[in-house]
Amino acid sequence: MSEPSVTAKEFFERARAGTLTGIRCEGCGALAVPPREFCEACHRRAWRAVPLSGEGTIASYTIIRVAPARFAAEAPYAVAVVRLKEGVSLFGRVVDVPFEQLAIGLPVRFRPLSRDGETVLAFGPA
Amino acid sequence: MRRVAVIGVGVTRFGRHDRTSAELFAEAAREALADAELSPGAVQALYFGNVVGGETERQLHMGPQAATALGIPTVPTTRIETACASSHAAFRHAVMEIAAGVSDIVLVGGAERVLNVPTADSTTYFAYASDATWEQPAGLTFPGVFALIARAHMAKYGTTEEQMAHVAVKNHRHGALNPKAQFQKPITLEQVLASPYVADPLKLYDCCPFSDGGAAVVLASEEVARRHPRAIWVLATAAASDSMLLHDKRDLARVPATERAAAAAYRQAGLGPTDIDVVELHDCFTIAEIVATEGLGLFEPGTGGLAAEKGWTSLGGRIPVNPSGGLKAKGHPIGATGAAQIAEIVTQLRGEAGPRQVEGARRGLVHTLGGNTATVLVSLFGRE
Repeated sequence: MSEPSVTAKEFFERARAGTLTGIRCEGCGALAVPPREFCEACHRRAWRAVPLSGEGTIASYTIIRVAPARFAAEAPYAVAVVRLKEGVSLFGRVVDVPFEQLAIGLPVRFRPLSRDGETVLAFGPA
Repeated sequence: MRRVAVIGVGVTRFGRHDRTSAELFAEAAREALADAELSPGAVQALYFGNVVGGETERQLHMGPQAATALGIPTVPTTRIETACASSHAAFRHAVMEIAAGVSDIVLVGGAERVLNVPTADSTTYFAYASDATWEQPAGLTFPGVFALIARAHMAKYGTTEEQMAHVAVKNHRHGALNPKAQFQKPITLEQVLASPYVADPLKLYDCCPFSDGGAAVVLASEEVARRHPRAIWVLATAAASDSMLLHDKRDLARVPATERAAAAAYRQAGLGPTDIDVVELHDCFTIAEIVATEGLGLFEPGTGGLAAEKGWTSLGGRIPVNPSGGLKAKGHPIGATGAAQIAEIVTQLRGEAGPRQVEGARRGLVHTLGGNTATVLVSLFGRE
Protein backbone atom coordinates (compact mmCIF):
# COMPACT_ATOMS: atom_id res chain seq x y z
CA MET A 1 0.00 0.00 0.00
CA SER A 2 1.58 3.24 -1.09
CA GLU A 3 1.64 6.30 1.10
CA PRO A 4 2.21 9.94 0.26
CA SER A 5 5.96 10.24 0.83
CA VAL A 6 7.45 10.70 4.28
CA THR A 7 7.83 14.12 5.89
CA ALA A 8 11.24 15.45 6.86
CA LYS A 9 10.07 15.41 10.48
CA GLU A 10 9.20 11.72 10.23
CA PHE A 11 12.54 11.00 8.53
CA PHE A 12 14.48 12.61 11.36
CA GLU A 13 12.36 10.97 14.08
CA ARG A 14 13.18 7.58 12.57
CA ALA A 15 16.82 8.65 12.12
CA ARG A 16 17.03 9.51 15.82
CA ALA A 17 16.00 5.91 16.52
CA GLY A 18 18.77 4.71 14.23
CA THR A 19 16.93 4.04 10.96
CA LEU A 20 17.28 5.88 7.68
CA THR A 21 14.17 5.92 5.50
CA GLY A 22 13.99 6.13 1.73
CA ILE A 23 10.94 6.31 -0.51
CA ARG A 24 10.55 4.00 -3.49
CA CYS A 25 8.34 4.94 -6.43
CA GLU A 26 5.83 2.16 -7.12
CA GLY A 27 5.51 3.54 -10.64
CA CYS A 28 9.10 3.32 -11.91
CA GLY A 29 11.05 1.86 -9.00
CA ALA A 30 13.20 4.97 -8.42
CA LEU A 31 14.55 5.40 -4.91
CA ALA A 32 14.64 8.89 -3.37
CA VAL A 33 15.29 10.65 -0.11
CA PRO A 34 12.06 12.15 1.26
CA PRO A 35 10.17 14.43 1.34
CA ARG A 36 8.92 14.59 -2.23
CA GLU A 37 5.44 14.83 -3.71
CA PHE A 38 6.13 13.56 -7.22
CA CYS A 39 8.75 11.13 -8.44
CA GLU A 40 11.41 13.15 -10.22
CA ALA A 41 11.88 10.38 -12.78
CA CYS A 42 8.27 9.56 -13.78
CA HIS A 43 6.23 12.33 -12.08
CA ARG A 44 3.86 9.83 -10.52
CA ARG A 45 2.91 9.97 -6.86
CA ALA A 46 3.01 6.43 -5.50
CA TRP A 47 5.63 6.20 -2.79
CA ARG A 48 6.43 3.34 -0.47
CA ALA A 49 8.65 4.00 2.55
CA VAL A 50 11.63 1.65 2.67
CA PRO A 51 14.30 1.29 5.34
CA LEU A 52 17.86 2.01 4.21
CA SER A 53 20.79 0.02 5.52
CA GLY A 54 22.85 3.04 6.55
CA GLU A 55 25.90 1.43 4.93
CA GLY A 56 27.75 3.27 2.25
CA THR A 57 30.97 4.83 1.03
CA ILE A 58 32.26 8.38 1.00
CA ALA A 59 31.55 10.07 -2.37
CA SER A 60 33.33 13.28 -1.35
CA TYR A 61 34.40 14.91 1.89
CA THR A 62 35.96 18.01 3.38
CA ILE A 63 37.19 19.22 6.72
CA ILE A 64 35.45 22.43 7.74
CA ARG A 65 37.98 24.67 9.47
CA VAL A 66 36.12 27.99 9.29
CA ALA A 67 32.67 27.20 10.66
CA PRO A 68 29.38 29.06 11.05
CA ALA A 69 29.14 30.80 14.45
CA ARG A 70 27.03 28.09 16.10
CA PHE A 71 29.51 25.33 15.17
CA ALA A 72 32.71 27.31 15.78
CA ALA A 73 33.55 25.39 18.97
CA GLU A 74 33.29 22.06 17.08
CA ALA A 75 35.70 23.04 14.25
CA PRO A 76 37.61 21.49 12.63
CA TYR A 77 35.10 18.78 11.72
CA ALA A 78 34.62 16.49 8.74
CA VAL A 79 31.52 16.34 6.53
CA ALA A 80 30.83 14.07 3.58
CA VAL A 81 28.39 13.06 0.91
CA VAL A 82 27.88 9.34 1.47
CA ARG A 83 26.58 7.06 -1.27
CA LEU A 84 24.46 4.42 0.43
CA LYS A 85 24.58 0.89 -0.96
CA GLU A 86 20.93 1.22 -2.08
CA GLY A 87 22.03 3.95 -4.51
CA VAL A 88 20.86 7.19 -2.87
CA SER A 89 23.21 9.58 -1.08
CA LEU A 90 23.03 11.57 2.13
CA PHE A 91 25.10 14.42 3.50
CA GLY A 92 26.32 14.44 7.07
CA ARG A 93 29.10 14.67 9.61
CA VAL A 94 31.86 12.08 9.71
CA VAL A 95 32.72 11.10 13.28
CA ASP A 96 35.34 8.83 14.85
CA VAL A 97 37.40 8.66 11.65
CA PRO A 98 40.82 10.35 11.90
CA PHE A 99 41.12 13.14 9.30
CA GLU A 100 44.13 11.48 7.66
CA GLN A 101 42.08 8.32 7.03
CA LEU A 102 39.31 10.17 5.18
CA ALA A 103 39.16 9.10 1.54
CA ILE A 104 36.71 8.85 -1.31
CA GLY A 105 35.45 5.27 -1.30
CA LEU A 106 35.96 4.77 2.45
CA PRO A 107 33.19 2.51 3.87
CA VAL A 108 31.12 4.23 6.58
CA ARG A 109 27.95 3.49 8.53
CA PHE A 110 25.13 5.80 9.63
CA ARG A 111 24.77 6.83 13.21
CA PRO A 112 22.54 9.60 14.53
CA LEU A 113 24.09 12.52 16.34
CA SER A 114 21.93 14.40 18.82
CA ARG A 115 22.51 18.02 19.62
CA ASP A 116 20.11 20.22 21.61
CA GLY A 117 17.16 17.98 20.73
CA GLU A 118 18.08 18.17 17.03
CA THR A 119 19.07 15.00 15.15
CA VAL A 120 22.04 15.42 12.85
CA LEU A 121 22.95 12.84 10.23
CA ALA A 122 26.39 11.42 10.84
CA PHE A 123 28.55 8.55 9.68
CA GLY A 124 31.18 6.61 11.57
CA PRO A 125 33.53 3.72 10.74
CA ALA A 126 31.77 0.82 8.94
CA MET B 1 10.18 39.19 -28.86
CA ARG B 2 11.97 42.53 -29.12
CA ARG B 3 15.76 42.82 -29.07
CA VAL B 4 17.32 44.27 -25.93
CA ALA B 5 20.60 46.13 -25.44
CA VAL B 6 22.72 47.37 -22.55
CA ILE B 7 23.19 51.13 -22.89
CA GLY B 8 24.80 52.00 -19.55
CA VAL B 9 26.87 50.33 -16.83
CA GLY B 10 28.15 51.37 -13.41
CA VAL B 11 29.91 49.71 -10.47
CA THR B 12 31.20 50.94 -7.13
CA ARG B 13 34.65 50.03 -5.96
CA PHE B 14 34.34 46.63 -4.25
CA GLY B 15 35.66 46.23 -0.71
CA ARG B 16 34.63 47.73 2.60
CA HIS B 17 32.05 50.52 2.64
CA ASP B 18 30.30 52.45 5.40
CA ARG B 19 27.12 52.81 3.38
CA THR B 20 23.91 50.80 3.08
CA SER B 21 23.25 48.47 0.17
CA ALA B 22 20.68 50.95 -1.11
CA GLU B 23 23.27 53.72 -1.14
CA LEU B 24 25.85 51.49 -2.85
CA PHE B 25 23.35 50.55 -5.53
CA ALA B 26 22.34 54.20 -5.99
CA GLU B 27 25.97 55.20 -6.62
CA ALA B 28 26.37 52.47 -9.24
CA ALA B 29 23.02 53.37 -10.82
CA ARG B 30 23.95 57.06 -11.03
CA GLU B 31 27.11 56.04 -12.90
CA ALA B 32 25.12 53.71 -15.20
CA LEU B 33 22.56 56.44 -16.01
CA ALA B 34 25.36 58.94 -16.75
CA ASP B 35 26.97 56.31 -18.99
CA ALA B 36 23.64 55.92 -20.82
CA GLU B 37 23.21 59.72 -20.97
CA LEU B 38 19.78 59.35 -19.40
CA SER B 39 17.96 61.24 -16.69
CA PRO B 40 16.65 59.08 -13.81
CA GLY B 41 13.15 59.99 -14.96
CA ALA B 42 13.61 57.78 -18.03
CA VAL B 43 13.68 54.60 -15.91
CA GLN B 44 10.39 52.65 -16.11
CA ALA B 45 11.18 49.74 -13.76
CA LEU B 46 13.87 48.47 -11.39
CA TYR B 47 14.91 44.85 -10.81
CA PHE B 48 17.18 44.60 -7.79
CA GLY B 49 19.30 41.76 -6.41
CA ASN B 50 20.26 41.37 -2.76
CA VAL B 51 20.75 38.29 -0.61
CA VAL B 52 21.52 38.74 3.09
CA GLY B 53 20.20 42.27 3.72
CA GLY B 54 17.70 40.85 6.20
CA GLU B 55 20.59 39.48 8.25
CA THR B 56 23.36 42.09 7.89
CA GLU B 57 21.28 45.26 7.61
CA ARG B 58 17.97 44.21 9.19
CA GLN B 59 16.50 45.34 5.90
CA LEU B 60 13.86 43.73 3.73
CA HIS B 61 11.84 45.51 1.04
CA MET B 62 15.03 46.77 -0.55
CA GLY B 63 13.57 47.41 -4.01
CA PRO B 64 11.74 50.62 -3.11
CA GLN B 65 14.52 51.51 -0.67
CA ALA B 66 17.08 51.37 -3.50
CA ALA B 67 14.78 53.36 -5.81
CA THR B 68 14.24 55.93 -3.06
CA ALA B 69 17.98 56.32 -2.47
CA LEU B 70 18.44 56.86 -6.20
CA GLY B 71 15.67 59.48 -6.37
CA ILE B 72 13.04 57.52 -8.36
CA PRO B 73 10.72 56.34 -5.55
CA THR B 74 7.63 55.88 -7.73
CA VAL B 75 9.17 53.38 -10.19
CA PRO B 76 7.87 49.79 -9.89
CA THR B 77 10.53 47.62 -8.24
CA THR B 78 11.14 43.91 -7.72
CA ARG B 79 13.79 42.41 -5.47
CA ILE B 80 15.10 39.06 -6.65
CA GLU B 81 17.03 36.53 -4.60
CA THR B 82 18.76 33.52 -6.15
CA ALA B 83 21.76 33.53 -3.77
CA CYS B 84 24.92 34.71 -5.52
CA ALA B 85 23.18 34.83 -8.91
CA SER B 86 20.57 37.35 -7.74
CA SER B 87 21.35 40.32 -9.96
CA HIS B 88 21.90 38.11 -13.01
CA ALA B 89 18.44 36.63 -12.40
CA ALA B 90 17.18 40.21 -12.00
CA PHE B 91 18.80 41.01 -15.35
CA ARG B 92 16.98 38.14 -17.07
CA HIS B 93 13.61 39.37 -15.80
CA ALA B 94 14.40 42.91 -16.94
CA VAL B 95 15.34 41.62 -20.39
CA MET B 96 12.03 39.75 -20.56
CA GLU B 97 10.08 42.88 -19.51
CA ILE B 98 11.58 44.82 -22.40
CA ALA B 99 11.45 41.93 -24.87
CA ALA B 100 7.75 41.52 -24.08
CA GLY B 101 7.09 45.17 -24.85
CA VAL B 102 6.07 46.17 -21.33
CA SER B 103 8.87 48.75 -20.87
CA ASP B 104 11.53 50.44 -23.01
CA ILE B 105 14.10 51.40 -20.36
CA VAL B 106 14.73 49.26 -17.27
CA LEU B 107 17.36 49.60 -14.57
CA VAL B 108 18.88 46.39 -13.16
CA GLY B 109 21.44 45.82 -10.48
CA GLY B 110 22.16 44.78 -6.98
CA ALA B 111 24.15 45.45 -3.86
CA GLU B 112 25.40 43.66 -0.79
CA ARG B 113 26.88 44.59 2.53
CA VAL B 114 28.56 41.96 4.72
CA LEU B 115 31.80 43.44 6.03
CA ASN B 116 29.85 45.17 8.82
CA VAL B 117 29.48 41.78 10.58
CA PRO B 118 32.11 39.31 11.88
CA THR B 119 33.32 36.50 9.55
CA ALA B 120 31.65 33.81 11.69
CA ASP B 121 28.31 35.59 11.13
CA SER B 122 28.75 36.11 7.38
CA THR B 123 29.80 32.44 7.14
CA THR B 124 26.51 31.58 8.91
CA TYR B 125 24.39 33.75 6.56
CA PHE B 126 26.05 32.45 3.38
CA ALA B 127 25.35 28.89 4.59
CA TYR B 128 21.63 29.77 4.52
CA ALA B 129 21.87 29.26 0.75
CA SER B 130 22.26 25.53 1.41
CA ASP B 131 19.39 23.44 2.77
CA ALA B 132 18.32 24.24 6.34
CA THR B 133 16.99 20.73 7.01
CA TRP B 134 19.52 18.49 5.28
CA GLU B 135 22.78 20.43 5.14
CA GLN B 136 23.06 23.32 7.59
CA PRO B 137 22.60 21.20 10.78
CA ALA B 138 25.72 19.14 9.94
CA GLY B 139 27.69 22.37 9.65
CA LEU B 140 28.03 22.76 5.88
CA THR B 141 29.54 26.05 4.74
CA PHE B 142 29.73 27.76 1.36
CA PRO B 143 33.45 26.88 0.97
CA GLY B 144 32.48 23.38 2.14
CA VAL B 145 30.18 22.89 -0.87
CA PHE B 146 32.98 23.71 -3.28
CA ALA B 147 35.50 21.69 -1.29
CA LEU B 148 33.27 18.63 -1.87
CA ILE B 149 33.22 19.49 -5.58
CA ALA B 150 37.01 20.01 -5.59
CA ARG B 151 37.70 16.62 -3.96
CA ALA B 152 35.43 14.88 -6.45
CA HIS B 153 37.08 16.70 -9.39
CA MET B 154 40.55 15.81 -8.12
CA ALA B 155 39.59 12.14 -7.73
CA LYS B 156 37.87 11.88 -11.11
CA TYR B 157 40.25 13.91 -13.27
CA GLY B 158 43.50 14.27 -11.34
CA THR B 159 43.07 18.01 -10.88
CA THR B 160 45.65 19.35 -8.40
CA GLU B 161 45.75 22.00 -5.70
CA GLU B 162 48.50 23.66 -7.73
CA GLN B 163 46.23 23.91 -10.80
CA MET B 164 43.56 25.53 -8.61
CA ALA B 165 46.19 27.94 -7.30
CA HIS B 166 46.94 29.01 -10.89
CA VAL B 167 43.36 30.33 -11.13
CA ALA B 168 43.92 32.53 -8.08
CA VAL B 169 47.24 33.83 -9.40
CA LYS B 170 45.74 34.62 -12.82
CA ASN B 171 42.69 36.41 -11.41
CA HIS B 172 44.82 38.49 -9.04
CA ARG B 173 47.05 39.40 -11.99
CA HIS B 174 43.94 40.58 -13.85
CA GLY B 175 42.51 42.32 -10.79
CA ALA B 176 45.67 44.41 -10.50
CA LEU B 177 44.56 46.03 -13.79
CA ASN B 178 41.06 46.88 -12.51
CA PRO B 179 40.75 50.13 -10.51
CA LYS B 180 37.39 48.95 -9.04
CA ALA B 181 38.80 45.64 -7.74
CA GLN B 182 38.97 44.84 -4.02
CA PHE B 183 42.46 43.33 -4.45
CA GLN B 184 44.70 45.10 -6.93
CA LYS B 185 47.96 43.31 -6.30
CA PRO B 186 49.42 40.15 -7.83
CA ILE B 187 50.01 37.07 -5.67
CA THR B 188 52.36 34.11 -6.20
CA LEU B 189 51.66 30.41 -6.53
CA GLU B 190 53.68 29.85 -3.35
CA GLN B 191 51.50 32.33 -1.41
CA VAL B 192 48.33 30.52 -2.47
CA LEU B 193 49.72 27.08 -1.65
CA ALA B 194 51.02 28.23 1.74
CA SER B 195 47.72 29.81 2.83
CA PRO B 196 45.73 27.98 5.53
CA TYR B 197 42.96 25.52 4.72
CA VAL B 198 39.41 26.86 5.02
CA ALA B 199 37.73 23.62 3.90
CA ASP B 200 40.25 21.06 2.59
CA PRO B 201 41.42 21.09 -0.19
CA LEU B 202 40.41 24.77 -0.49
CA LYS B 203 42.76 27.26 1.12
CA LEU B 204 42.21 30.89 2.01
CA TYR B 205 43.58 32.08 -1.35
CA ASP B 206 41.30 29.68 -3.24
CA CYS B 207 38.34 31.64 -1.87
CA CYS B 208 36.85 34.92 -3.01
CA PRO B 209 36.63 37.54 -0.26
CA PHE B 210 33.61 38.86 1.57
CA SER B 211 32.82 42.21 -0.06
CA ASP B 212 30.54 45.24 0.02
CA GLY B 213 29.57 46.86 -3.25
CA GLY B 214 26.95 47.73 -5.83
CA ALA B 215 26.51 47.38 -9.58
CA ALA B 216 23.93 48.55 -12.12
CA VAL B 217 23.15 48.29 -15.82
CA VAL B 218 20.62 50.18 -17.94
CA LEU B 219 18.71 48.08 -20.46
CA ALA B 220 16.80 49.44 -23.44
CA SER B 221 14.60 48.30 -26.30
CA GLU B 222 16.05 48.26 -29.82
CA GLU B 223 14.25 51.49 -30.69
CA VAL B 224 15.92 53.34 -27.80
CA ALA B 225 19.27 51.55 -28.18
CA ARG B 226 19.64 52.63 -31.82
CA ARG B 227 20.26 56.17 -30.54
CA HIS B 228 23.19 54.84 -28.46
CA PRO B 229 26.29 54.11 -30.55
CA ARG B 230 27.96 52.24 -27.65
CA ALA B 231 24.99 49.90 -27.12
CA ILE B 232 25.89 46.25 -26.58
CA TRP B 233 23.25 43.69 -27.57
CA VAL B 234 21.88 40.92 -25.39
CA LEU B 235 22.19 37.87 -27.66
CA ALA B 236 20.81 35.37 -25.13
CA THR B 237 19.88 35.02 -21.48
CA ALA B 238 19.15 31.64 -19.92
CA ALA B 239 18.53 30.31 -16.42
CA ALA B 240 18.79 26.73 -15.21
CA SER B 241 18.24 25.07 -11.86
CA ASP B 242 19.30 21.85 -10.23
CA SER B 243 18.17 20.03 -7.11
CA MET B 244 18.68 22.14 -4.01
CA LEU B 245 20.14 19.09 -2.29
CA LEU B 246 23.74 17.93 -2.45
CA HIS B 247 22.55 14.39 -1.81
CA ASP B 248 20.65 14.39 -5.12
CA LYS B 249 23.77 15.15 -7.16
CA ARG B 250 24.93 12.12 -9.16
CA ASP B 251 28.37 13.51 -10.04
CA LEU B 252 29.90 16.07 -7.69
CA ALA B 253 32.63 16.87 -10.24
CA ARG B 254 30.08 18.59 -12.50
CA VAL B 255 27.61 21.46 -12.27
CA PRO B 256 24.70 20.33 -14.47
CA ALA B 257 22.88 23.67 -14.17
CA THR B 258 25.85 25.38 -15.84
CA GLU B 259 25.74 22.87 -18.67
CA ARG B 260 21.98 23.35 -19.15
CA ALA B 261 22.06 27.15 -18.96
CA ALA B 262 24.99 27.30 -21.39
CA ALA B 263 23.29 24.96 -23.86
CA ALA B 264 20.12 27.07 -23.75
CA ALA B 265 22.03 30.34 -24.20
CA TYR B 266 24.10 29.03 -27.12
CA ARG B 267 20.91 27.74 -28.76
CA GLN B 268 19.10 31.09 -28.33
CA ALA B 269 21.98 32.98 -29.95
CA GLY B 270 22.86 30.36 -32.57
CA LEU B 271 26.42 30.41 -31.25
CA GLY B 272 28.84 27.95 -29.67
CA PRO B 273 31.74 28.15 -27.23
CA THR B 274 34.27 28.80 -30.00
CA ASP B 275 32.40 31.99 -31.00
CA ILE B 276 33.10 33.62 -27.61
CA ASP B 277 36.01 36.06 -27.25
CA VAL B 278 35.83 36.95 -23.54
CA VAL B 279 34.21 35.38 -20.47
CA GLU B 280 33.27 36.59 -17.01
CA LEU B 281 32.38 33.54 -14.92
CA HIS B 282 31.58 32.70 -11.34
CA ASP B 283 34.92 31.97 -9.60
CA CYS B 284 33.67 32.12 -6.01
CA PHE B 285 36.36 29.48 -5.47
CA THR B 286 39.21 28.51 -7.78
CA ILE B 287 37.65 25.08 -8.41
CA ALA B 288 34.41 26.83 -9.42
CA GLU B 289 36.25 28.51 -12.31
CA ILE B 290 37.76 25.20 -13.43
CA VAL B 291 34.40 23.40 -13.38
CA ALA B 292 32.65 26.35 -15.08
CA THR B 293 35.14 26.49 -17.97
CA GLU B 294 34.30 22.83 -18.60
CA GLY B 295 30.53 23.23 -18.16
CA LEU B 296 30.45 26.18 -20.57
CA GLY B 297 32.18 24.04 -23.19
CA LEU B 298 35.34 26.17 -23.29
CA PHE B 299 37.41 23.08 -22.44
CA GLU B 300 36.74 19.34 -22.38
CA PRO B 301 35.50 17.86 -19.08
CA GLY B 302 38.48 17.24 -16.81
CA THR B 303 40.83 19.66 -18.60
CA GLY B 304 39.88 22.90 -16.84
CA GLY B 305 42.76 22.48 -14.39
CA LEU B 306 45.22 22.02 -17.25
CA ALA B 307 43.81 25.11 -19.00
CA ALA B 308 44.47 27.18 -15.86
CA GLU B 309 47.97 25.77 -15.48
CA LYS B 310 48.86 26.44 -19.14
CA GLY B 311 47.59 30.03 -19.05
CA TRP B 312 44.91 29.38 -21.68
CA THR B 313 42.40 31.44 -19.64
CA SER B 314 44.72 34.38 -19.04
CA LEU B 315 44.62 37.74 -20.82
CA GLY B 316 46.51 36.96 -24.02
CA GLY B 317 45.55 33.26 -23.77
CA ARG B 318 43.19 31.20 -25.96
CA ILE B 319 40.04 32.42 -24.23
CA PRO B 320 40.51 35.09 -21.56
CA VAL B 321 38.42 34.33 -18.45
CA ASN B 322 37.67 36.95 -15.80
CA PRO B 323 39.71 39.89 -17.14
CA SER B 324 38.09 41.94 -14.34
CA GLY B 325 39.91 39.84 -11.75
CA GLY B 326 36.78 37.76 -11.22
CA LEU B 327 35.07 37.30 -7.88
CA LYS B 328 38.45 36.20 -6.54
CA ALA B 329 40.23 39.56 -6.92
CA LYS B 330 37.54 42.03 -7.95
CA GLY B 331 35.47 40.92 -4.96
CA HIS B 332 32.06 39.27 -4.49
CA PRO B 333 29.30 41.46 -3.03
CA ILE B 334 26.88 38.64 -3.74
CA GLY B 335 23.79 40.66 -4.67
CA ALA B 336 25.83 42.85 -7.04
CA THR B 337 27.99 40.20 -8.69
CA GLY B 338 25.91 39.29 -11.75
CA ALA B 339 25.37 42.93 -12.73
CA ALA B 340 29.08 43.67 -12.18
CA GLN B 341 30.05 40.75 -14.44
CA ILE B 342 27.69 42.06 -17.12
CA ALA B 343 29.19 45.57 -16.71
CA GLU B 344 32.67 44.12 -17.33
CA ILE B 345 31.65 42.25 -20.49
CA VAL B 346 29.88 45.36 -21.84
CA THR B 347 33.03 47.41 -21.13
CA GLN B 348 35.15 44.78 -22.90
CA LEU B 349 32.89 44.64 -25.97
CA ARG B 350 32.93 48.43 -26.21
CA GLY B 351 36.73 48.26 -26.23
CA GLU B 352 36.89 50.48 -23.13
CA ALA B 353 38.63 48.13 -20.67
CA GLY B 354 42.03 49.86 -20.81
CA PRO B 355 45.00 47.73 -19.70
CA ARG B 356 42.80 44.64 -19.22
CA GLN B 357 41.17 44.90 -22.67
CA VAL B 358 40.77 41.67 -24.65
CA GLU B 359 41.83 42.91 -28.09
CA GLY B 360 39.07 42.90 -30.67
CA ALA B 361 36.48 41.21 -28.42
CA ARG B 362 33.16 41.02 -30.28
CA ARG B 363 31.19 38.46 -28.27
CA GLY B 364 31.19 37.87 -24.53
CA LEU B 365 29.68 35.41 -22.07
CA VAL B 366 28.58 35.96 -18.47
CA HIS B 367 28.08 32.99 -16.11
CA THR B 368 26.73 33.42 -12.59
CA LEU B 369 26.11 30.65 -10.10
CA GLY B 370 23.82 30.70 -7.07
CA GLY B 371 25.01 29.29 -3.76
CA ASN B 372 25.18 25.50 -3.79
CA THR B 373 25.06 25.27 -7.65
CA ALA B 374 21.25 24.97 -7.70
CA THR B 375 20.91 28.19 -9.76
CA VAL B 376 22.93 29.20 -12.82
CA LEU B 377 22.45 31.99 -15.34
CA VAL B 378 24.32 32.36 -18.61
CA SER B 379 23.93 35.38 -20.90
CA LEU B 380 25.64 36.22 -24.18
CA PHE B 381 26.43 39.70 -25.47
CA GLY B 382 27.60 41.08 -28.79
CA ARG B 383 28.62 44.29 -30.49
CA GLU B 384 25.86 43.94 -33.06
